[in-house]
Amino acid sequence: MNEAHGEVFDLGYRHYEGPREGRMRARKAIWINGVRTALGIGRGWGSKALPILLFIAVMTPAVVISIAAATAGNLMDLPRHDAYYQIISTLLVIFSAIIAPELLCPDRRDGVISLYLVRPLSPTDYVIGRWLAFLSVTLAIVYLGQVILFTGFVLAAEEPANYLRYNWMDVPRFLLAGLVVAIFTTTIPLTVSAFTTRRAYAAAFVIGLFIISIPVAGILSICDEDRGRQRNEFGQDPEPCRPPTGESAKWFALINLSDVPIHVNDLIFPKENTSEFARLVAELPSIVPITWYLLLTIGPGFVLWWRYRRISI
Amino acid sequence: MYNLPMPHLLEAKELTKHYGATIALESVDFQINDGITGLLGPNGAGKSTTIKLFLGLIGPTSGSVEVLGERPYESVESRSHLGYMPEHDCLPASVTAAEFLTHMAQVSGIPPAHARTRAADILRHVGLDEERYRSIGEYSTGMKQRVKLAQALVHDPLLVLLDEPTSGLDPGGREEMLALVKRTGREFGISILLSSHLMGDVESICDRIIVLEGGRVTEEGDVSLFTQETQTLYIDVDDHIEELVAALSKRRIAATMDGLSVVVETESEEQYDSIRDAIVESDTRLRRLAPRRHGLTDIFRRTPNE
Repeated sequence: MNEAHGEVFDLGYRHYEGPREGRMRARKAIWINGVRTALGIGRGWGSKALPILLFIAVMTPAVVISIAAATAGNLMDLPRHDAYYQIISTLLVIFSAIIAPELLCPDRRDGVISLYLVRPLSPTDYVIGRWLAFLSVTLAIVYLGQVILFTGFVLAAEEPANYLRYNWMDVPRFLLAGLVVAIFTTTIPLTVSAFTTRRAYAAAFVIGLFIISIPVAGILSICDEDRGRQRNEFGQDPEPCRPPTGESAKWFALINLSDVPIHVNDLIFPKENTSEFARLVAELPSIVPITWYLLLTIGPGFVLWWRYRRISI
Repeated sequence: MYNLPMPHLLEAKELTKHYGATIALESVDFQINDGITGLLGPNGAGKSTTIKLFLGLIGPTSGSVEVLGERPYESVESRSHLGYMPEHDCLPASVTAAEFLTHMAQVSGIPPAHARTRAADILRHVGLDEERYRSIGEYSTGMKQRVKLAQALVHDPLLVLLDEPTSGLDPGGREEMLALVKRTGREFGISILLSSHLMGDVESICDRIIVLEGGRVTEEGDVSLFTQETQTLYIDVDDHIEELVAALSKRRIAATMDGLSVVVETESEEQYDSIRDAIVESDTRLRRLAPRRHGLTDIFRRTPNE
């Protein structure tokens, strides 16, 4: 009987003779690695837990509304595509504030950035790759929620074909509005992350910035309804409810950062948004919330690019 | 048909770099080709600035720097031919060496399937085959240095720039790293520019050195030129050392004692016969008789006018 036997040979060093795809491959690698990092793919369960939890939290409203539509049967009273981004905006800000710094801070803290920038990759390629990676993740989240919602509404409708016929315009609208929301929630957290190597500092700063902007905008732009009611109880004529800053209140309403993309969303969908801030901003010319949105995305985007242009290793 | 001359791997021409009023490099000229070249100099000599210029991380104030005939500051693609191992920490703690190297190969332009193979090959060459699926954070300092070298080699560059590769290693780890660097240069056929302030490291593995001081090239050439024999003769003996010195004096050869060695400044080869006779006469047991060699440290002992 023959015995199987093998022998191990040292092949020595072999030079690489395969294809080299240069800068484009480098850019793709940064993008793919960014998506994997944001979702904790290829890492321990500790890195995966947070993205999964936040992802579930952001998806929950869409699932709940879809189930409600399927069981209640009446779609009229339920929040629709136009209101969805407002419902998830706070959750989305928390998601972005916590996850976005993961894409930039460790590379600078661990010094990996010095290995990237000595390869066929410019600082601009790197930062655009990271920005696109996080944009891809946020886009996937906002679109997935809207797709769940749309599917739920179609299936819950008495005549799905009719629902599609009369509501198909919702699809391009939520795609455009989703892009607006995702660009906003990608750019600001990444810009903040470019100035610290500590993820926790970046996350706390972004959440703090968005949270503080809500009461500041509220104090300056929303009228005191209780004071108006009190006067009424004393038998005086109720005064029309006016915010403390009068006409300027419409402008101060723009301070609420989490609503900045929602004002653009309200211009994309024809339905009226009844929230206080939205009503005030709706009185301004349409160009104002659009310009404000562009300033708050292009401005931080430029700062992010400039910061990495000047990075020294 | 014309035969165009092959460009040098690296070339600095009239290279000058100023940081405001501070002069980092001033009219530096040199070329680097195959083999292992040492870039020597004290702190602040301009070594790091030179490496950054070759990597295209900064641009020159005047003059030019070229990698295979291309200017790295103007074309990031030229960096595909270079590898770089920095002195400082540059590794992520939470990923495995295999995954990190695969990613770095892709960032160097290699497609994913090839990148995985290259990562496995290189980790085997640097001796981390068994540990490649462990997180880098769990590695020892020596293993991390190997990963740093591996990431510089993963895309099979023509030349790697190593910045203090033995930094932070114990004597055993230092020897292993130097052997690996030497193997990379000799067996893998990858040219190396080794920046170091440790003369021993440079002397033991480099073919050629470039010495920078105050932003200028002060010495350049083969290592053997700087380690030639001197006129000083060392005679190591076991006993009868005083008798040996007396026997040498009798023959008009000036000698000094240095522990169990006798040091003689020879003037001619004929003196060797007299030295042999003196050893026989003093009945001492000879262990070694050899001329002293210059060391690279001597370069920095010379006065500026020498």
